Amino acid sequence: MLHINQLNKSFDQPDGKVSVLQQASLQLEAGQSAALLGESGSGKSTLLHLIAGLDRADGGEIWLQQQPLHQFSDEQFNQLRRTQLSLIFQQYHLVPTLSVFDNLSLQARLTGNLDDDFRQHLIATLGLGPLLKRLPQQLSGGQQQRVAIARSLLHRPALVLADEPTGNLDENTSQQVMQLLSQLVRDNGSSLLMVTHSPAMAAYCDHSWRLQHGRLEAELSA
Amino acid sequence: MRSLLWSWLTLLSHYRRHPSQTLFLLLGLITGVALWSAVHIINAHARASYAEADQLLDAQASHWIQAPNGRVALSDYVALRRAGFRQVYPVLELRLSTLDNQPLTLIATDLMAMSASRTSPTQEQSNSRVDMRAWSQLSQPPYAVWVPASLANSLPLQAGQRLTLRDGRQLPPAVTDSQPRQGQRLFMDIGAAAITLGETHLSYLAVGAIDPAELKRLDQWLNQYAPQLKRRSNQQPLDLTELTASLHIHLNAMSLLAFAVGLFIVFNAVRFALHSRASTLTTLRELGVSARTLTSAIVLEGFTLSLIGTALGLAAGFGLSQLLLPAVAATLQHLYGAVLDQRLLLQPQVLLQAWLLTSVGLLMALVWPLWQRSRQGVLAQRQGVDVLQQEQRSQRRLAISAAVLLAIALLSYPWLNSLAHGFALLAALLFAGAWLLPWLASQCLHWLSQNAKPGLAQWCWAEGQVQLGPLRPALMAMLLALTANFGVDNLVGSFRQALDNWLQQRIAADVYVQSEQLDAHQLSQYAWLLDSHERNGLRLRWQGRPTLIRGLDPSAPDVQQLPMASQSYPQGGAAWPDDGILANEQVQHLAGKQLGDVIYLPLGNGEQQRFTLAGFYYDYGNPYFQFYLPYQRVAQLWPNAQPQGLALWLDEDANMTEVEQALVEAGAQPGDWIDRRAILQLSLRIFDRTFAMTAAINTLTFAVAGIALLAALLAIHQQRLPHYAHWRAMGVSWREWLQLTAVPLALCLMLTWVLSIPLGSALAWLLIHDINVLSFGWTMPLQWQGRPALLLALLCLGVTAIAFAIAALQVRQRLPYALKQLGADE
Ligand SMILES: Nc1ncnc2c1ncn2[C@@H]1O[C@H](COP(=O)(O)OP(=O)(O)OP(=O)(O)O)[C@@H](O)[C@H]1O
Ligand SMILES: [Mg+2]
Repeated sequence: MLHINQLNKSFDQPDGKVSVLQQASLQLEAGQSAALLGESGSGKSTLLHLIAGLDRADGGEIWLQQQPLHQFSDEQFNQLRRTQLSLIFQQYHLVPTLSVFDNLSLQARLTGNLDDDFRQHLIATLGLGPLLKRLPQQLSGGQQQRVAIARSLLHRPALVLADEPTGNLDENTSQQVMQLLSQLVRDNGSSLLMVTHSPAMAAYCDHSWRLQHGRLEAELSA
Repeated sequence: MRSLLWSWLTLLSHYRRHPSQTLFLLLGLITGVALWSAVHIINAHARASYAEADQLLDAQASHWIQAPNGRVALSDYVALRRAGFRQVYPVLELRLSTLDNQPLTLIATDLMAMSASRTSPTQEQSNSRVDMRAWSQLSQPPYAVWVPASLANSLPLQAGQRLTLRDGRQLPPAVTDSQPRQGQRLFMDIGAAAITLGETHLSYLAVGAIDPAELKRLDQWLNQYAPQLKRRSNQQPLDLTELTASLHIHLNAMSLLAFAVGLFIVFNAVRFALHSRASTLTTLRELGVSARTLTSAIVLEGFTLSLIGTALGLAAGFGLSQLLLPAVAATLQHLYGAVLDQRLLLQPQVLLQAWLLTSVGLLMALVWPLWQRSRQGVLAQRQGVDVLQQEQRSQRRLAISAAVLLAIALLSYPWLNSLAHGFALLAALLFAGAWLLPWLASQCLHWLSQNAKPGLAQWCWAEGQVQLGPLRPALMAMLLALTANFGVDNLVGSFRQALDNWLQQRIAADVYVQSEQLDAHQLSQYAWLLDSHERNGLRLRWQGRPTLIRGLDPSAPDVQQLPMASQSYPQGGAAWPDDGILANEQVQHLAGKQLGDVIYLPLGNGEQQRFTLAGFYYDYGNPYFQFYLPYQRVAQLWPNAQPQGLALWLDEDANMTEVEQALVEAGAQPGDWIDRRAILQLSLRIFDRTFAMTAAINTLTFAVAGIALLAALLAIHQQRLPHYAHWRAMGVSWREWLQLTAVPLALCLMLTWVLSIPLGSALAWLLIHDINVLSFGWTMPLQWQGRPALLLALLCLGVTAIAFAIAALQVRQRLPYALKQLGADE
């Protein structure tokens, strides 16, 4: 489903060229989830950005459901992000002027793939029912992240990319959110690639990968 | 399509959640459009009116038949009708005075003959407004006079009441109703006028639509049976359009200025709305909306806003034009004799133009940030840019553009010879000033922060730098408003002063009598009469323009003191040069004649008479060409010249009632004379009315600038609120906050005001010395006034204080919430 082969990426920094990814490779099968671990600055976010087409690799291949993403145009990536992929961020990235209901419906509306029953199901599972009319700024961090999760799943993407989704949340809330996320992804038949610093969060995933010195290594599940 | 729709809706949600931003954005659009469209509607309306200006009650005269002495005998009219000229109808035009000396114009005609003169069937149908009932009321005892409602109001005169004239005559009962194209004129049936007012002559005959063969027959008939009558084709609409063109250009320029100030608000609001939605835009990109779709959504939003703004702005502009119309109508009637209809119509092209203008304005505000965003990748958008550095870069860019603009303007000044060029220079000057301002303010703040004591003072100037960016368009709008106000105040002030001086000198005689029965010799017996001089004159066309030739006594005191712009003969008692002629400045500026040039004027018999230009005199505000010649010479060259009355110089102690008594004894009718004070007052009143409109628009411009400032302050505070919360958490008191935000603002506005003084002066200079000459053909000495500058400073201070207070109150209200948010945010 997701195959990354020998991916290279470097950045120009004031102190010279910094190689972030060097021949990094990774596999993720459909319906599976994987945690991406690594030190700060090791290139985890960069990897997610490359998969989502927010940035371009210097070399190597990315295959998603037999599609060569490394050959995709910007327009194809837009299409991909709209329909087959979704992103979850540490800062939630909700639209501040839309209500909870409109926020969680947004991506499905853009796609035209809105299933009302599924929306009700997500709202009920994530416990967003009483919050639908509120604005994001009237929610706690955990509540906002649950809205972001609902938004990222409603259009049934094949792959969910999450960059430290619990990074801003306390221990308890993190557990709760993580549980919901992994369960919903599994029910949905989507794959999940999630960046995290916390082994406890990684434990919710089927696999773990560690990014070190630009290379990816599979870790044994805890 | 779907993603465009939802992106657009997502973007629009911003306006629902931020009503104050929405309000100001729309307010800017609406006021801008309203001011522009109000003037535009009035201008279009006036132009339409000129086309029909000489239509009396909807009847279009193609020709006039006049007698040299201005009086056509009733028998001539009857003979013409008998000869089968059904197109001819009689007109009596009387100038009357009310008991308290208010001038009135009365028109009388034969409604039946006039209706019959209209031959075109379409006209017949659409304009059969003169119904039989009204006609019989006018033509049967006790008769009636139609008085326009607004005139009746100002007299004041009730319906059914009879107006008593200064000479004791009484008009029939008033009907306060006006007919199309009646203007501010009274209207009567000609028979009724003959009976009730004792008028036995007609002023002239009008000829309706007439075919060429009939016209030829008419000319032959006149030659044969009434050689003293002359036919003249009606060129008035053409003249009016030409004469008033400059006035309308001025009005247009003013309205565009107001529109520009409105655009600054919109510019500010649109930029800010875009800026505060940066994260939403990036989120949409992350959700897979393409850059192109997003740009389309933003442009679509711009069009939505411009549609709403245009619709509401036009509605407001229509209302505003109703308010301004009386002032403009008064100006036009007094200055040019043009009669405006008091009803306005909204034309579809005004709608389209207004919408295009606002759309262009909005696009201007959007293009740069959109282009910048489209160059950035999605990731870079999240990282944010150094706003301060970017602001400084654009300040520098603007300052350089300003310098270039100024250089071009200065270099092209010596070649200034068209109105368009003049207005382009004005615009260049205004924009250069506006563009220079942010850089100047920034330099000033920078210098202050470098030299201030570390601590609150230094912080204060640094905070000023931060606020300068969002404040920039508002400051520019304020500068434009201040400059325009100061410049126009100076212009109007100089004009009024010049006019006053000129009137004092030129209307030097104490009493002017206009009467044919007056026996001038009989007056010479009185001791109080120091001097008296007769004058005559006639109208003709010269160089395609209406031209007045006046015969004067060169030794009369007012002619001796005529304020001259330039002359080639010694003034004061010197003999009049042989073929010399004096001309007003308009002849110099509009017809391009120089001192000593030879000109030819048409005589009654078709020949041309040669004259040499011996001098130019100031003639403020006169749209016509005018020439002065000795009285006898006019009478000799133009036998059809009409007496223009007698100017009397009185002893200082002369008793006015005694003088009036003597005049009546000498044969004049009460109302035939005007004393100097009345003329002076009338002239100044006309002047003040003319500029009432200018003042109104100017004041509105100021209000718009005030709104821009308030909007900018609210936006700044909303943006800075988290910082303020931090400050508060750090222990900055409310008082210190006020100091931190108010002091740099006050400095910026002071700079704006200071800059507006040289800019406004330059504006006034250009207006008087170049634009006025190019458009009106006359000049005046420029008089600098300090008072308007001080007044404007006070006004600016007031507007700023109000805006600041409202914005500060809002901060005070929101600060507790922002403090709570401090912990929640990252
Ligand atoms: N746009 C960029 N330009 C230059 N260098 C960049 C850019 N984005 C990332 N980097 C560099 O690439 C390296 C990897 O960054 P990345 O954000 O992927 O790390 P990360 O593993 O996500 O770290 P963290 O756990 O702190 O989020 C860092 O050294 C960073 O400085
Ligand atoms: Mg990261």
